[in-house]
Amino acid sequence: MSVVLEKVSKRFSQNGSAVDVLEDVHVLEEINFTIDDGEFVCLVGPSGCGKSTLINLIAGLELPSTGRVLVDGVPVTGPGYCGLVFQEAALFPWLTVQGNVEFGLRIAGMPPAQRREKAAEYLKMVHLSRFASAYPHQLSGGMKQRVAIARALVMDPKILLMDEPFGALDAQTRRLLHEELLEIWQETRKTIFFVTHNVREATVLGDKVLTMSARPGRIKKGYAIHLPRPRRESDPHLIVIQQRILLNIQEEIAKVVKDEDMDYLVGKIQ
Amino acid sequence: MKKRWDWKRRLPWLWLIGGWMIVALLWPKVPSPIHIFSLVVQDLADRSFLTALAGSMFRMAVGYTAVCVIGVSAGLLLGRFRWLDDLLGTLVSALNAMPGAAWVPLAIVLFGPNQGAVIFTILLGATGIVVVNTSFGVRDVPPLILRAAQTMGAKGTKIFWHVIVPAATPRIVDGLRLAWAFGWRALMAGELLISSIRGMGQLINQVARQRNTGQLLAFMVIIALIGMFVDGVIFNRLIGDRLRTRWGTT
Repeated sequence: MSVVLEKVSKRFSQNGSAVDVLEDVHVLEEINFTIDDGEFVCLVGPSGCGKSTLINLIAGLELPSTGRVLVDGVPVTGPGYCGLVFQEAALFPWLTVQGNVEFGLRIAGMPPAQRREKAAEYLKMVHLSRFASAYPHQLSGGMKQRVAIARALVMDPKILLMDEPFGALDAQTRRLLHEELLEIWQETRKTIFFVTHNVREATVLGDKVLTMSARPGRIKKGYAIHLPRPRRESDPHLIVIQQRILLNIQEEIAKVVKDEDMDYLVGKIQ
Repeated sequence: MKKRWDWKRRLPWLWLIGGWMIVALLWPKVPSPIHIFSLVVQDLADRSFLTALAGSMFRMAVGYTAVCVIGVSAGLLLGRFRWLDDLLGTLVSALNAMPGAAWVPLAIVLFGPNQGAVIFTILLGATGIVVVNTSFGVRDVPPLILRAAQTMGAKGTKIFWHVIVPAATPRIVDGLRLAWAFGWRALMAGELLISSIRGMGQLINQVARQRNTGQLLAFMVIIALIGMFVDGVIFNRLIGDRLRTRWGTT
């Protein structure tokens, strides 16, 4: 499934009033890019540049102020067609792992036997079959994220949107989940749009890495990465690309944020 | 968890009973705890006492059921519809500010000195706390969970029943638990003031008029025990533990 953003912009009025246009905050401006069918696209940018708003627009949770988001040529008008994974797993604490994965199918009205079978299939994919009857609070952070991924995939979404999904995990777990995510991607051939502030993560995973500027959020540059997977973070070819991307974003921060603590922000991006 | 003799919880009781025994020895007006204990056992086997107790429990059951049904439904509505909360929210806090016992005189005026007045007292004394807890529970559902549910195709009433209500359940149960305690107090207040109804309140009034301190204390112990049983066993053990394992709030 391909996703096309055409001149998409998003404004929020301050104090909730839509009257005074001058007071509006331009969160996103003139966003144009395409995600091809089956492509793995990563987006990196400084904090507060509108990455999450962009995800919400593609997910249909919010609508653009101007421009269009097209999925297979059809404009997006509401949520429900794509899977979404957040930084926090946002699992339902009153349901078991199995119940969480079945949730969307149950809402859609699928009969119990069928949805149990389907949930089991996806739990196997994320290596959590043994934990089907556990409750979320009994799982580690990495396991919770795997449940969230299974819960999103079981709906057979056209595209999987991931909003800094591994941001809260330790480096070891993150690397493991990178491998798993790539396996799942190769197996299911889903289109994936992955937002992160971690440049290394973006280069290890994506076919394409987009960088974003802040206030207003614009797509700055795109980097195609043709290296075969699995990639090592320390691969010299990858490091060259990482440096170029970092440079690109750092100059952005220097331009936009004058009075804030630079070292802090640069450190955060690396 | 290993079952162990939890002496820290027992110790205050031992002190209380020990202290009581000493006071009873020094001051003949105070009956000894052993005497009270035997009276409690006698009462629990006494037919007329049990009818009175059954009458009280019946009123509590009717009143409390009404509190649960009305309180939870009103709370869900107030939590769901902002305008309804704007309209009725202050009314509910006013209701909560009233002690249950303060409704008894009005209840007598409206219904006469009968069961209806007692149930009315329970209803007005305990519903507010359920409404408040339920509506806050509904409003405090984490927005992230709602967004997750939306992307999986849930909306409208489905999101309400499948996400918001289960997410609010621990808060709702908290409200019901408090309402039990409030209702129990309101019941006693009602029965003490309307002594023509056959119930615990009437018995207490009788023995108090006879200056029968022993029996009076025995009744009070029984009332406390029933309250503790419902709170400790039903709300804490049966419902609370199950909620805590599921929601992971231990």
